[in-house]
Amino acid sequence: MLEHRDMRAVVRLFLVAVLALFAQFTWAQDAGSQKEQVQRQQTQPLNNAPVWRDVRGGENPYQTTQARGIETNVLVQTEGEIWRQIRNGPVTVYGGWLITIVAVLIALYYGLKGPIKLHAQPTGRVIERFTPWERIIHWATAISFVILAVSGIVILFGRYVLLPVFGYTLFSWLAVISKNLHNFVGPVFAVCTVLMFVTFVKNNIWRAHDWIWVKRLGGMFGKREHVPSGKFNAGEKMWFWFGVTLLGIIVSITGFILDFPNFAQGRVAMQQANVIHAVAAILFMAAFLGHLYMGTVGVEGAYESMRNGTVDETWAREHHEYWYKQVTGGRAQPAGATPSAAPASPMREGWKT
Amino acid sequence: MARMKFLCDAERCIECNGCVTACKNENEVPWGVNRRRVVTMNDGLPGEKSLSVACMHCSDAPCMAVCPVDCFYKTSEGVVLHDKDLCIGCGYCFYACPFGAPQFPQDGAFGLRGKMDKCTFCAGGPEPDFSQAEFKKYGRNRLAEGKLPACAEQCSTKALLGGDADVVADIYRQRVLTRGKGSEIWGWGTAYGRPDKPAAKPGAKS
Repeated sequence: MLEHRDMRAVVRLFLVAVLALFAQFTWAQDAGSQKEQVQRQQTQPLNNAPVWRDVRGGENPYQTTQARGIETNVLVQTEGEIWRQIRNGPVTVYGGWLITIVAVLIALYYGLKGPIKLHAQPTGRVIERFTPWERIIHWATAISFVILAVSGIVILFGRYVLLPVFGYTLFSWLAVISKNLHNFVGPVFAVCTVLMFVTFVKNNIWRAHDWIWVKRLGGMFGKREHVPSGKFNAGEKMWFWFGVTLLGIIVSITGFILDFPNFAQGRVAMQQANVIHAVAAILFMAAFLGHLYMGTVGVEGAYESMRNGTVDETWAREHHEYWYKQVTGGRAQPAGATPSAAPASPMREGWKT
Repeated sequence: MARMKFLCDAERCIECNGCVTACKNENEVPWGVNRRRVVTMNDGLPGEKSLSVACMHCSDAPCMAVCPVDCFYKTSEGVVLHDKDLCIGCGYCFYACPFGAPQFPQDGAFGLRGKMDKCTFCAGGPEPDFSQAEFKKYGRNRLAEGKLPACAEQCSTKALLGGDADVVADIYRQRVLTRGKGSEIWGWGTAYGRPDKPAAKPGAKS
């Protein structure tokens, strides 16, 4: 029965979105029903059916009020109930399960396959993988993301998961802190997302060899065969384009709509922004769990590369072979040989001995 | 046990805004907060009608369902109340409410709205009846005094009725039979069309 209601709610939200697009036509209809009401009053003075039809439909037959505020002249807004059913229904239920299942699958993968370790001995020679600026941007984005993820989870799922454990008073404190952290860290994250895109985009351009990585699933399954890749492999590129860029932009824009009610946007805008924000954020968190795993316990040496900015040559060869060749052979020079050229493009050419 | 409801008779409402004033005065609500408002349809046209709107104390209240901290509760008389100590001012109840009842003292940037305020059916809040804290946060507790909401009691044309749903409905039925028109009970389908949710959880009161 729940599924049936959910489906209906989704269909209705779609209809509302379509209606919003064609708002100008409904205005024209308003004028029509107003005329109808005037005519009805002349033929049947006691019959107010046209007015009530409009009111019930949530439309606005020239309504006024003396109360100031957002949409105070609207008698009934029916979209709120649709929003409630979508948010409390599929978004909370399926979203919660999605995050849980992804976390469990990753844990299972770790338990069954274990981390990806280096095959050869480390050489002791390190290559610079991330400049200080890149690391600052990465960690600023990462820390703000985690704050937003945790506080968002508290706001969406806390009532069902944490409230029964903490009780009303304590959970309310947690929710107040979460709400304010979310509202103030959100804009920081939006700025970081833009900087992140600008900083990392040049090494995330899709290359032909990335398809090989996708076809072999990055060598993560089976015998864990070696798949060569550039500075970033196809998995990282997908996270960059689908996660950081697409979902980052979606949650940022919808977040701003929700975060600044002082611009007096209507309730429908808020409801739609909230649903899109929640769905995008849940997908974002699910994808982030994969990134978190690969960047910490999943791959030996991955965390150190972003922590210290350097990787061992063996690590570079085994994980990003094309990038390794590009840095060490051919175009790259030893740092001592051309000291003047090194700072110009340290990411591609800089390496330490 | 009585089930409290509001009913506004559009054939009688003269848009005097007396209910709005009475509410503000009785409950000493903060500036900018309108627990009750009067909306006029077809203003200035033949067939102009006015209605007084506030929280309708819905059977299956959407505000209650979407609140992230579950701060709403329902009294045994069907009045939907909330706990301002728990409210985090997220605004979700305002998105969900069909009637635009939830109000916020601020609409600041970064979602700083302050604690939600709404019509209490003049029934106060979770604090002890007649306490200073209850009055300061929620206004007068007239129900505990044995009185009905101030807005409905002072209505000069008796357009706005508030009280036991059976009594209110009987009065309205009599009127419709006598005058032979205006049988539309505005808002009842939206507010009471769904089955009643179970009454208050004791946890919310503490």
